[in-house]
Amino acid sequence: MSASVVDAPKRRRLGSRIAPAAFLLPFLIPFLLIFIGPIGYAVVQSLQKVERVAGLFGTPTTVWAGFAQYQRALSDSDFVASIMRVLLFGVIQVPVMMGIALLVALLLDTQSARLKRFHRLAVFAPYGIPGVVAALMWGFLYDPRLSPIVSGLEAVGLHPDFLGTDHILWSIANVVTWTYAGYNMIIIYAALQALPSDILEAASIDGARPLRLAFHIKVPLIAPALVLTAVFSIIGTLQLFTEPEVLKTITTTITSTYTPTMASYSAASANDYSYAAALSVLIAGVSFVLSFGFLRFTTRWNGTS
Amino acid sequence: MTSHTTNTPSTSVRIKRKFGAAPVAVNIVLLVATGYFLLPVFWLVVAATKSRPDLVSSFGFWFLRPQLFQNLQELFSEQDHVFGQWMLNSLLYSGVGALVGTVLAACAGYCLAVYRFRGKEAIFSLILGSVLVPATALALPTFLAFAKVGLTDSYLAVLLPSIISPFGVYLSRIYTQAAVPLELLEAGRIDGANEWQIFRAVVLRLISPALVTVFLFQFVGIWNNFFLPLIMLQNDRLFPVTLGLYSWQSQISRNPQLLLLTVVGSLVAVVPLVITFLSLQRYWKAGLTTGSVKG
Amino acid sequence: MAKIRRSVALAAVLTGAIALASCSSGTSTTTSSDSASSCAPAGGKVDLTFWNWGTGMDKAVDLWNEKNPDIHVDLKTVPNGNAGTYQNLFNGLKAGTAPDIAPIEYDTVASFRLVNGLKDISGCADVGTSASKFVDWTWSQVSEGKNVFAVPQDIGPLGLYYRKDIFDKYGLAAPTTWQEYYDDAVKLKAADPSYEITHFSQTDPNWFTGLLWQNSAKLFGTQGDKWQVSIDSPQAQEVAAYWQKMIDQKLVSTDLQGFSEALSKAWDTDKVLTWVSAPWGWSTIRDGAPDTSGKWAVAPIPQWKAGDTANGNWGGSSTAVMATSKHPYEAAKFLLWLNSDPEAVAILIKETGIYPASKAGADDSALTSGVEFYGGQKIFDTFKTAAAQVNNDFTWGPTMTDTYRFMADGIANALAGKGTLQDTLKDAQAKTIDSIKAQGLQVVN
Repeated sequence: MSASVVDAPKRRRLGSRIAPAAFLLPFLIPFLLIFIGPIGYAVVQSLQKVERVAGLFGTPTTVWAGFAQYQRALSDSDFVASIMRVLLFGVIQVPVMMGIALLVALLLDTQSARLKRFHRLAVFAPYGIPGVVAALMWGFLYDPRLSPIVSGLEAVGLHPDFLGTDHILWSIANVVTWTYAGYNMIIIYAALQALPSDILEAASIDGARPLRLAFHIKVPLIAPALVLTAVFSIIGTLQLFTEPEVLKTITTTITSTYTPTMASYSAASANDYSYAAALSVLIAGVSFVLSFGFLRFTTRWNGTS
Repeated sequence: MTSHTTNTPSTSVRIKRKFGAAPVAVNIVLLVATGYFLLPVFWLVVAATKSRPDLVSSFGFWFLRPQLFQNLQELFSEQDHVFGQWMLNSLLYSGVGALVGTVLAACAGYCLAVYRFRGKEAIFSLILGSVLVPATALALPTFLAFAKVGLTDSYLAVLLPSIISPFGVYLSRIYTQAAVPLELLEAGRIDGANEWQIFRAVVLRLISPALVTVFLFQFVGIWNNFFLPLIMLQNDRLFPVTLGLYSWQSQISRNPQLLLLTVVGSLVAVVPLVITFLSLQRYWKAGLTTGSVKG
Repeated sequence: MAKIRRSVALAAVLTGAIALASCSSGTSTTTSSDSASSCAPAGGKVDLTFWNWGTGMDKAVDLWNEKNPDIHVDLKTVPNGNAGTYQNLFNGLKAGTAPDIAPIEYDTVASFRLVNGLKDISGCADVGTSASKFVDWTWSQVSEGKNVFAVPQDIGPLGLYYRKDIFDKYGLAAPTTWQEYYDDAVKLKAADPSYEITHFSQTDPNWFTGLLWQNSAKLFGTQGDKWQVSIDSPQAQEVAAYWQKMIDQKLVSTDLQGFSEALSKAWDTDKVLTWVSAPWGWSTIRDGAPDTSGKWAVAPIPQWKAGDTANGNWGGSSTAVMATSKHPYEAAKFLLWLNSDPEAVAILIKETGIYPASKAGADDSALTSGVEFYGGQKIFDTFKTAAAQVNNDFTWGPTMTDTYRFMADGIANALAGKGTLQDTLKDAQAKTIDSIKAQGLQVVN
C-alpha cells in the first residue's frame, strides 16, 4: 500500500506510510467482517435451496438453486403487495413528516416564536421513545374501547376507526411521523441556525416578507439538510416492522406479510431461510436503489459518485 | 423581552430586529404542534401512575389515585430485579457502542479526508453505500455468521455490530475537510510531531462538534434498536431495556399485570435519553449542520 | 396464574426463528426408523437445563432436585412466551446453546422434527411403556410408530364459556348444537344490539384449527414418505361457512383481537357473551373481567349433529428432550416424573394452572372442586369428559408456522370483508403445499 500525504512534503517519513492504515483499519476490518460479510453471506444463501432425501422428514442437504428464490419472491403476490404498501406509505408519510419538521423548524427560526427551547425539546422528545413503546402508547389511544381520544371524538358525534382495515396503515404512519418528525426538525433547525445572518438580514432589508424569506431564501439554502433527512426517512420506510408488529396484538387487520420486513421474518421463522435471505437482499436492494436514486435526483453526493 | 412591530421601514443595518412573522399565528401553530407531540407522552406519565384496573377503565388524560412510587417499586422488583439490569445493559450497549464507534469513525473519517492512497475512493464509496442499506436486512445474516463462531447470546453479539457507524465515517470525513486546514497538519509535522500526536492534539479538538453528533446518533440508535438484540440474545439478563419491555408486552396475555409494568418501564426507559440530550445539547447543534450544509 | 398455552405461531414471525434446516447443528437423530433409540444412563452426577415459560414450574423442579440429588435440573424461566422460546430453541440448536429440555406444543413437534431438533427418547427410562398414563390422543401427537419425541404435559379440550346470567335473562339454555348457538346469537343481538355472541380471534388460528378438529377435518396426512395436505376439506369448509355466516350477519365481533385488553374490557362490560375455549381459559376470563365474577358458566362444546360428542383441542404442550442433549436418559426420566407422578402433576395444576395430559391427573382435588368465579360450578368435570372425546386421529403438518400464518392472514382478510373463511382454507391449502415443497419435502397433492 503506497501512501502519500496530500501536499506531500519533500521529506517523507515512514510514519506517513503506516499512518493511513493505522487510522483506517480499526474501522475497516470490523466493517468488512460484520457489515459487508453478512451481506455476501445472505446473497449466497439466497441462491440456494433445501433438498431432502428419504423419509417423511428426510435428511436435508443444501443445493444451488440459481435465482429460484427470487422468482418465488417476485411471484409471491403477498410480498409484492407488501412492497407496494410501504411505497404508498412512504410516498404519503415521508413528505407529510418532512413538511411538519420543516414547518416547525422554520417557525422556531422566526423572531416571533416564544418558548423556543421548550418547543424544541417537546417536538424532539418522541425520538427518544423506542418504537415498541411508541406503538404501545398509540395503540392505547387508537383502541376504540380504551382510548380517551376516541371517546372524546364520539362525544361530538365522530366515529373514528383507527384500527380498521382502511385506516390502520395511516395510523401506523402517524406513529412513525410522531416518532421521527422531531429528529428531522432538529437537523433542519440546526441547518437554519447555521445560515449566515448577513444573507437573511440583507433579504429582510430588501423587504422580503417572512413567508418569502422562509420559502425562497431559507429553504433553498438548507436543501442538503432536507435531502439528507429525506433519504434516512426513505430507508426507514422500507424497514417498517416494529410498529405494525406491536399493533398486531390489538387489531385484527395486520397480516404476517404486511410489510416486506415482516414477510422476510415470516419466511425465516418458518425455516425457509434461503427465501428469507432472498427477501432480505431484495429489500436491501430496493431500499438502496430508491435512496440512491433520490440522491442522484436531488443533489450530487458530495463529490463522490 | 418585547418585540412590537412598527410600520416604519427600517433603513439602518445596525438594527438587529429581523422581520418578525405574525407572532400570534406563529405561536399558536407551535403550541398545536407541541400539543400533538406531547399528548402521548402526557398519557404515558399519567398512565404510569395508575393501578392496572384504573389504567384500562379510567379516563386516560387525567390522574386517578396516583401510585407511581408503588408502581416503580413493583417495576424494579419484578422477575428478580431484572428491569434495573436491562437499564444497565442499555447503558452499556449504548455507551460503549457509541464511544468505540465514534472513535473508530473519527479515525477512519480523518484518514479518508487527509491521506491519499490507492483504493481510497472505492473504500469511501463502499462505506457510503452501506449507509443506504437498511439495518434490518442485515440482522439475520449477521446472526448466522455469529452463530458459526459462537458469538451469539453474549454482550459482544450486540456490541460488535453497534460499533460500526458508516454514517459517522462520512460525517467525520466531510467535517475534517471543512474544519481542519492542511497547513496546520503540515506545521505539526515540521515541528516533529508524529501523525498520531497531530491527530490527538489538533484534529480531535477541531472536529469535536461532529464527533458529539456522531456519538449522540449512535447512542440513540443503539438505545432504540431492538431488532438486533432480539435475534442475538436468548438470555434475558443480557437484554437491553427495549427488548425487555417488548418481551413483557408479548406476555401481557399471560400475565395482565405486565401491561402496567410495560407502561411504567417505558416511562423510566425514556429518562436516560432525555438526560443525555439535555447535557450534550450545547455541543451537537454545531455538529448537526455539517452533514447537510456541505453541498 | 394459569399458564396460557396458545401457540402464537405468528408471533414467531417477529422474532424470525432461524432454524436453518440445511445447517442445523443438531445431532442427527434416527428419524422414521422403527427401532427404539438406544439410551443409557450416564452414571455419576448429571446437570440438566430446562427452559420454560410461565410461572410456577420452579416448585415442581425444587421437589425433583430434593428427591434426586444425582440428576440436578436447572430451571430457567424464559421471558418470551412460546413464540420467543421456539425462536431461541431454533437458534440454540444451531448455535449449540439449546437446553436439555423444553416445552413444545403439539402442533410444533413436527416443525422441530423437521430440523432434527428432538431426541427420540423411546428407548430411555420407561418411556416405551408409559403411553397408557396419558390421555390417548396425546400420545399419538408426540410419537410416530415406535419413536417417541416428547412427553405430553397438558391439554386444551374445548368447552363453551358463556354468560349464564344473560342467557337466563332471555330464557336461553346453553346451546348444545352449533345451530342452537347461531339461533342464540340472533336472539341476543335482537334483544340488545351491543351484544356479540363471541369474538373471532385473528391472532389465534390454532383456535380455529381446534374447531376444525372437532368436525373431523384432518388437515394433514401421510402416504409413505409423502405428505398429504387436506386443509380445504368438506368438513373444514362446513365450519368455515358457518362462521362466515356469523361474520356476515355481524353476530360476532370482528375487531377484537384475542387476548387483548379491549377484549377483556368487552367481557367485563357485558358486550361479548361466550368463548369457545380450553380449560386453561378459565383464568383468562377471571383475570380479564373481574366485574363479571359469578356470572359465567361452562357447558360442553356445541355439536354439529345433535347427540354427538365430538371435540377438538386448542393448545397444551408436551415437553421434549432437545437433540443436542448429552443426557437423554436422565432428561426422559425427569420428564416422565414431571408429567405423570401424582405429586408432581398436583404441583403443576396448583402452581402453573395447567390441565394435565396425565389420566390420573384429571382426578386431582384441585380439578374436582367448584370454582368460585364460575358460581361454584365444577367446571373441570366438563373438560374431563371433553378430554376423552377429542378426535384421536389428527396430524399436524411439518411447516405449521407457515400454515398458521396463512390461516391468520386469511382470517384477517375475512374479518375485514376482503375475503371469506372459505377462501382462507383454499389459500392456506395452496400455500402450505408450496411451503412444504420449499422445505424439500414431497407432497402427494
